[in-house]
Amino acid sequence: MQPLMRAVDLSKSFGGLSAVRQVSLDVYPGEVIGLAGESGSGKSTLAMLLAGLRAPSEGAIYFEGRRLRSPFRARSLGVEVIHQKPDLAEHLDISSNIFLGIEAGRPSSIHLLRVPNRRRMDEEAGRILAQLGIHLSSLREGVANLSSEQRQMIAIGRVMTRPAKLIIIDDPTLMLSYPCQQRLLSLIQAWQQQGTAVVLGSNNPDHLLAVTDRVIVLREGRRVAEYATDEASRDEIVAAMVGTSDHQQLTPMIWALDSYYRAREQADKLRHSQGLLESDLAAQDTLSQELVDQLAEQINALDSANAALQNAQRRLLTQLEQERKSLAREIHDQVIQDLLGMNYQVEEIETEESLPPALKEQLASIRDSVRALVDDLRHLCGALRPPTIDSLGLGAALQSYAEEWSRRTGITVSLDVYSGIGRLPEDIELSVFRIVQEGLTNVRKHAAASAVGVELKQASPRSMMITIADDGQGLPDDFDLAAPPTEGHYGLLGMSERVALLGGRLKLQNQAQGGLLIQAEIPHPRAVRPSEDVP
Amino acid sequence: MNDRAVVSSEAREKPGLLRSLRGAWRTLIGRYETVALVCLLVISTFLALQTDTFLTWNNLSNIARQFSWIAIAAFGESIVIIIGGIDLSVGAVMALGGLISARCLGVGVPVPLAAAAGVLAGGLVGWVNGTLVGRVRLPAFIVTIGTASIARGIAFGLTGGWPVRDLPEAFRALGQDDLALGGLSLPLPFLLMLGLAVLVSLLMSKTVLGNYINTLASSERALVTSGVNVVQVKTLVYTLCGVLAATGGLLMTARLGVAAPTAATGYEVDIIAAAIVGGTSLFGGRGSTPGVLVGAAVMQVLRNGLVLLEFSTNWLTAVLGAMTLAFILLDHWRRRR
Repeated sequence: MQPLMRAVDLSKSFGGLSAVRQVSLDVYPGEVIGLAGESGSGKSTLAMLLAGLRAPSEGAIYFEGRRLRSPFRARSLGVEVIHQKPDLAEHLDISSNIFLGIEAGRPSSIHLLRVPNRRRMDEEAGRILAQLGIHLSSLREGVANLSSEQRQMIAIGRVMTRPAKLIIIDDPTLMLSYPCQQRLLSLIQAWQQQGTAVVLGSNNPDHLLAVTDRVIVLREGRRVAEYATDEASRDEIVAAMVGTSDHQQLTPMIWALDSYYRAREQADKLRHSQGLLESDLAAQDTLSQELVDQLAEQINALDSANAALQNAQRRLLTQLEQERKSLAREIHDQVIQDLLGMNYQVEEIETEESLPPALKEQLASIRDSVRALVDDLRHLCGALRPPTIDSLGLGAALQSYAEEWSRRTGITVSLDVYSGIGRLPEDIELSVFRIVQEGLTNVRKHAAASAVGVELKQASPRSMMITIADDGQGLPDDFDLAAPPTEGHYGLLGMSERVALLGGRLKLQNQAQGGLLIQAEIPHPRAVRPSEDVP
Repeated sequence: MNDRAVVSSEAREKPGLLRSLRGAWRTLIGRYETVALVCLLVISTFLALQTDTFLTWNNLSNIARQFSWIAIAAFGESIVIIIGGIDLSVGAVMALGGLISARCLGVGVPVPLAAAAGVLAGGLVGWVNGTLVGRVRLPAFIVTIGTASIARGIAFGLTGGWPVRDLPEAFRALGQDDLALGGLSLPLPFLLMLGLAVLVSLLMSKTVLGNYINTLASSERALVTSGVNVVQVKTLVYTLCGVLAATGGLLMTARLGVAAPTAATGYEVDIIAAAIVGGTSLFGGRGSTPGVLVGAAVMQVLRNGLVLLEFSTNWLTAVLGAMTLAFILLDHWRRRR
């Protein structure tokens, strides 16, 4: 198949600064390509080159096999652009901005002499904005007074006025709140389904993993890595974005401490420079530049420390699970079998007729105790390692756990797991199980609830939403997630840690009709559907 | 529009008679057309009281005839200024347009074709301006000074420096005839100017092109992002300016009955002054055709008044210059607020 757009060895330098260095890139129809990179990695410049707004210093761009002479008017080719900061015409109103460049009206032959049909444009703009979930009092309002999020959504709306072949998106999420970011991500999926190719520049690996087919990583203007999204992990992409070669030999904890001390050193330097700054205004320019540099360095160091800590904790959790697994196996294979053996021996002795009845009774009660003990141990094993999760998967494990939990606590559980859940990697299945387990434990201990609903549903092809809602007393008004551990409650904190380690988000809120609502969104690789397992 | 909104909200914050008077004053200042109109009325009233001749039909009709060609050229100039440019070649283009038509008439070309040739010549100069400014991205100031001297040079070269006389009656009628409309006998150039004012006004306020022109100075990036061919718009604007200036030049030539290569020398100052007094912002983005019309009228009444008051017309450029600067200052002062 011919690529829709092909960029060959693009370079761009501003003065002596090289922003993009020899980047080649093919975009195929209907494909979503992620451009990953930290700020300053050349994403925006590359997007500008692909959008025809700037001419590359070297290299060539082809569209549908034809070489383009930059700067070109991308929109006449069916290429749309969404910039990091929205480019709006300040003194035009909302619908004029959305239809800028493609005004509808009469006569239809000479565009520049067209008298815009305001009513039609307003209707269409209203429909687009409603689709974007933006509600504005009037479409005839000037855009100058809108919030930056609304302005960005209007810039996105501009792309939706007509079908495009390729949409270039240069990380507009800085200006967007979480729901608007999600809306943009689902729009990208919808565009892909219509056959539109998308190039998405972003420094958020979650966004890239959620919607792209391929991720190309840029660092210092160079293309340093490419991953098929289905096979890439978040850590790989982040590592390629940051470039962690020299730190990998150190163990994470040492590295974290090292970074921590370095960060403190930087902070001291910063304070010192600040003092200098105050005493010497003449040197302000160079110093503030230094300050910015140091601050950036410091932030980098803190980021690395944070990543290392997360890594360490992930390891701890993995080891914990392994420990539990082997412990469960030990108890199940050794202790329980031994106990059953003993029970059998006692039964043998019991059949001996020479025994007095009083002794027989005692033996029977010992046997009962042993059986109860075995039951307890089985129960313990189940809690240590859900027995069904390895063989039957997450859905079945949750089902049996919920039934057992309900029987034990007397609280009704309604469990709703979406049908296409398939099999996920072991650590994710286990983590989700633990999250539900901890959520239910929390309900039993603190909620005083009579019923609880657990729901797992698909949020996007690469993420799921876990919802646990009870009808109990909810969270106290002054609840602080950081506070409970001091009072000996680790449940919610543990949940939030697990969710964070999976790269997801946790939301706790009281429901209007009472009771606590816990929502956790977990990103995961594309699931293996059960049907696909059967050849 | 936005400025007025700001003014009214300020007035709401600070109630009181003084404040609301101040608000009203600012609203008045805010409308540039109003300022130009007030100027026109004040000067006219003053002249009507001071002289016996000003308020005669003959004098007024003369003023109307003469300010028409300045006004027509100023319509084009104001559009150029609105996109953030400037065209200093309008005076030379007026002379060139008139001269080309006169030369065509001299070899027996019929009047409509000769007029079209003059207008086309103006359009060509405008197109060169627009291409150099829009596509090659040279500064408008330098480019139009260059094309001005080229146009003026061609005018001199075509005639050997002598004016062309003996223009046919049918052509002179364009500048000299009156048209009786409902009992009033109005000068033809004035009616033509009104017609063009309506056309340009509609173009600027109703069409997509007008929208782009008004947006260009403040939001060129937004237009580029939206796929608007900005180079084409700029070229069109300069071309239109050339066409309108040549049209004004034709009417001037027809009125004077002579096509001189030295005609319209220094008119670019009058024309830019008319545009700015009429409320076109030198910083781009704002201006209206009716305002420019009033601005051109102010200029002509001033010129006429100085003659009637028996001042030397040698002072005229100084007065016009001062007036232009005052209006630029007013614009600057208002933008800072």
